[in-house]
Amino acid sequence: MNSQLLFSGISMGIIYGLIAMGMVLIFRSVGIMNFAQGEFLMLGGYFCYTFNQLLNLHIIPSLILASLAMGFVGVLFMRTSYWPLRNAQAKAIIVSAMGASIAFKEGARLIWGSIPVNMDRVIEGTVKIGAASIQWQYIAIILASLVIMVLVYVLLEKTFIGNIMQATAQDQYMASLTGIPVVFSIGLTFALSAMITGIGGGLLAPIFFLNNVMGATAGSKAFAAIVIGGFGSVPGAIIGGLIVGLVESFGGAYISSTYQLVLIYVVLIAILMLRPQGIFGDKIQEKA
Amino acid sequence: MKKLFALLLAALMVVGLLACGATPNETTAAADNPPADNEQAAASDEPIKIGLTTVLTGDRALEGQYASNAAAIVQEEINAAGGVLGRPLEIVIEDALGTDVGAVNAYRKLAADDDIVAIITPDSSNDGMAQAPSALEFKIPTTAQGSSPTLRDMCNNENKYLFQLRACDETLCAALIQYAVEELGLESFAILHDTETSSADQAGLFTKALANYGIEPKVVVPFTTGTKDFSSQIAQVQNSGAEAIIGACFQTEAAILITQIRAMGLDVPILGSNAFADPVTIQLAGDATDDVYCASAWVPNTPVPKGKAFSEKYEQTYGEECGKAAAQIYDHVSIICEAIEIAGSTDREAVRDAMNTISDYEGAITTYDCRTNGDCGRGGLLVRVKNQQAEIIDAITSEKVIE
Repeated sequence: MNSQLLFSGISMGIIYGLIAMGMVLIFRSVGIMNFAQGEFLMLGGYFCYTFNQLLNLHIIPSLILASLAMGFVGVLFMRTSYWPLRNAQAKAIIVSAMGASIAFKEGARLIWGSIPVNMDRVIEGTVKIGAASIQWQYIAIILASLVIMVLVYVLLEKTFIGNIMQATAQDQYMASLTGIPVVFSIGLTFALSAMITGIGGGLLAPIFFLNNVMGATAGSKAFAAIVIGGFGSVPGAIIGGLIVGLVESFGGAYISSTYQLVLIYVVLIAILMLRPQGIFGDKIQEKA
Repeated sequence: MKKLFALLLAALMVVGLLACGATPNETTAAADNPPADNEQAAASDEPIKIGLTTVLTGDRALEGQYASNAAAIVQEEINAAGGVLGRPLEIVIEDALGTDVGAVNAYRKLAADDDIVAIITPDSSNDGMAQAPSALEFKIPTTAQGSSPTLRDMCNNENKYLFQLRACDETLCAALIQYAVEELGLESFAILHDTETSSADQAGLFTKALANYGIEPKVVVPFTTGTKDFSSQIAQVQNSGAEAIIGACFQTEAAILITQIRAMGLDVPILGSNAFADPVTIQLAGDATDDVYCASAWVPNTPVPKGKAFSEKYEQTYGEECGKAAAQIYDHVSIICEAIEIAGSTDREAVRDAMNTISDYEGAITTYDCRTNGDCGRGGLLVRVKNQQAEIIDAITSEKVIE
């Protein structure tokens, strides 16, 4: 039982980490928590479904095309929900993101309908590891997520575009003085964030099926992951995601399956009491 | 000058309030007086309105999609056949949002319209129970889609405006357990259920039915609506060593649950509530639904002639299999129209009385008998899923509770 719970916890944790990482990129860039991030997961799933099931493409190209489509959605979201309010109070932008979240959900329902849908998996079947039966798709999710995380790290730390994005994230005014196109840089960050989360949606949909409210719960758990890991920290988001996944899995089996979400928030509060800035919070404070 | 202006403003407000207050009295008065001939002629062209509260947005919007589609079909059918009392039928749909507060608000909005003759509740028993006091307050005939025994008891005892047009869960759950114990020879069970009210009620009814055989569930594992990863719940079931799993939840959760139970290598019979043999569940979970047993009010390949015709028409029109929520709306609208025809009037009180005269009415799902009280729906089906098809094992008939 424990090995089953461990695998399940890690798989779910990686997914929460992926969504959290997308949220952190936007937070670092514009200082706002994107409460529509869960809907990026859902939209990514629907784009993937469209390419895979409606246009009959193989699942791998479908995932890539869905990710590119999500890049466009990210830019659109930035231009409509963030950019017009960039000089307003933060709460105005948060409300705007919440409104966008509702619009995404109901828009998806109007386009793709209310009936949940399914799509192809990257790998079919299950594998026995010790006493645990693991669906191959979970393993595909873990591997794909690790690849995405490495790629994002290389992009941010080792490339010129990454440096532009980091510079804009640290100080938009200074970045603009040095000739960095700030709008382009922020747009790129939103696009990257939507692409990362959207690909997660495409990978998750064959396991959890796809409907217009798919992202709601995952989004709230990703938020908990960010708080646990430390606001603004990419490694913190991933570690936070793993903690959330494992607490959910083991807590659900040994403490209460009804109050899994409550358990996550109990751990969150406990960590905040010991370390108010989150696990990787110090580094962010130094950067700020 | 300011005082004069304030006095004028206050006087205007009083006149305005009096005018607003007079409106209902005027409507009642007009209703009391016999209409003039030209008014009668105008009335014959005016549609007869039935209100439908269903979930159009949010987590349970699937129900609303089925309901809206079915409403369009039945409205078109009835109008093509000459309408109701020679007048066209219009179904007015309000979004119940999938919450009890949303359901009550939608209901009250419809009930406030004097032209609405009767109202249909959403599919969830919880929503129907929340709307029940408003039915009593507005004195409007209300047909409930829910199947909970609490709702049935409300119809039979405290609320003469409420009619349950569905076989009660108590009968369906008992029939499924009877089959599992007596025919399949199963002796130990684990129950997995959503904490949402209807599913939690069904889990309680399964437990009660097991108790009739002296069986206590090995483990009862609840989960919250929207749960995606059931590993920790299934691990508990696996540890309990139960011979069979009983599930109670909505379609998406049922499909995920069935898939994950099979993926974790648990090859035991799965028994479940309505949702477990729903077309959506079977379509999503595919092969994993083989050997799933369910006591359901409806399957698309129903043997009931009216249901068969409706199911085929639905599939032809919308290109998808007809779900229970669609078939229910077809029957609810048809029965309300039947009551209006019997009453020969759109007066809510007369239609309510006419509802209680309906007996042996053959609908798409089952036969309805509303005599003596509001417990009307009689039949259900015992179903087994094989090769992704819901096969009917037996018919279930609930006894009418007469007090």
